[in-house]
Amino acid sequence: MPETQHEVFPKDPSKTYGLMELVKGTSPMVDKGPEDTVTSWPRLLILEGLLMLGTIVLLLVWSYLVNAPLRELANPDVTENPAKAPWYFLNLQELLLHMHPALAGVIIPTVMVILLMAVPYIDRDRRDIGIWFASKKGKTVAMWAGAYTFVLVVALVLFDEFVRVRSLVSNPWWMPGVVVPVGIILVLSVLLYLIIRRWRPNTREVLVGFFTAFVVTYIVLILFGTLFRGLGMRLIWPWNMPPGGLTF
Amino acid sequence: MNRLSALLINLRNSRVWTSIFRSGYPDNDEKRSLVMVNSLFLHLHPVKVKKNTLKATYTFGLGIIAFFLFLVLVVTGVWLMFFYVPSVERAYSDIQALETSVTFGMLMRSMHRWAAHLMVLTVFLHLCRVFFTGGYKHPREFNWVLGVVLWIVTLLLSFTGYLLPWDQLSYWAITVGTNMIGSAPFIGDMVRLLLLGAKEVGQEALIRFYTLHIAILPLVMTILISVHFWRVRKDGGLSSPEEGAAVEREG
Repeated sequence: MPETQHEVFPKDPSKTYGLMELVKGTSPMVDKGPEDTVTSWPRLLILEGLLMLGTIVLLLVWSYLVNAPLRELANPDVTENPAKAPWYFLNLQELLLHMHPALAGVIIPTVMVILLMAVPYIDRDRRDIGIWFASKKGKTVAMWAGAYTFVLVVALVLFDEFVRVRSLVSNPWWMPGVVVPVGIILVLSVLLYLIIRRWRPNTREVLVGFFTAFVVTYIVLILFGTLFRGLGMRLIWPWNMPPGGLTF
Repeated sequence: MNRLSALLINLRNSRVWTSIFRSGYPDNDEKRSLVMVNSLFLHLHPVKVKKNTLKATYTFGLGIIAFFLFLVLVVTGVWLMFFYVPSVERAYSDIQALETSVTFGMLMRSMHRWAAHLMVLTVFLHLCRVFFTGGYKHPREFNWVLGVVLWIVTLLLSFTGYLLPWDQLSYWAITVGTNMIGSAPFIGDMVRLLLLGAKEVGQEALIRFYTLHIAILPLVMTILISVHFWRVRKDGGLSSPEEGAAVEREG
């Protein structure tokens, strides 16, 4: 079957063209909303160009003003004190101070990555795509989940520094190393869920609460590790930080 | 002035010019489409984009900034490779020489360093942006998964580069970092040995981290970024509230 060809009529200069009549009727675009698009040239390209320019200018100025750090030659016999991982791993190193290394350095990060990857397969409602925090309720949930997590993470770090879980339960090794930290994480997660539930949220709003809790924990622990851990990884104020304590 | 514009017009109509730029200045919609489709670099973009894609408070431009930082890192990184030998005898003094006796050496090294940190930050913020706007939803599930992998590859790229200056900072940061990996149950010691090539951080670790940093991980990153961008296009561009509204209408 030959496909229907649309004939193209060239504009005839000897004729005049005008609007003759308005017809009421449906078109394929009815109920579809306006297309709401613009051509990528030039709008998108200008924005991208500006972003790139801004980034490179910021980077040039910053790199001109602040030199990349370089300490003494590596020496396996002289341990740095504090010996810290790069700043973006200091949240894991902070966890290391409070639980068994396998839990802090491998199991928790792996579980977190798997949970993150699972997000789109858990929340499959497409109605709120493209809306920041899903809804007004979602914003409230995020705010309270963030505040809840912030207070608890700070309190837990301080508690383990000044009271020490290991001084309360030290035997057997898996009590302070595994059972207590995992127990605390589970209990506080369930508690977070119970708190969020009072807003009667949908799946996405629950996830917004938990993701916010993850991000706040992630950032607060990086800040602790970067700014508040000095000699022997003891808590200190940032202004007392020994010169080798910042790992950028 | 007239002669100049005549010259420019002649130039633009010349065989050489039209052989390179096929569609002329994009001053109408047809040419605006052609200019995107005819260029290798621009064809990654769609001809038309949704308006909300351009809204600063929707994307904050984080994805494009992260990608651009990656490009800056490739350029400065290749430049640094001309002056650096990954051996425990030479690495540190090469960095010192780079800082003191190579033209723009200090600036290029600083740019590489700060761009790397900035990229780690930007990629994480991009991940948060996509989460909080629900950009991971159908049909973009797998692109979200790829994004999480890209975040991890970014961290690994930064971490492997961290050892290369071979100073106290890098030595002990990598020692602490790989000890954390070594604590994994069952496979930890094996993975640590595979990464370091020895019991301690030394020459074997340096050459392994170097190869990962300049060849393997950038290659993995490039492939994953390509797939990531490709899928953004195939999944209908960036997410938009309009999609949710369409689902609502169709019930």
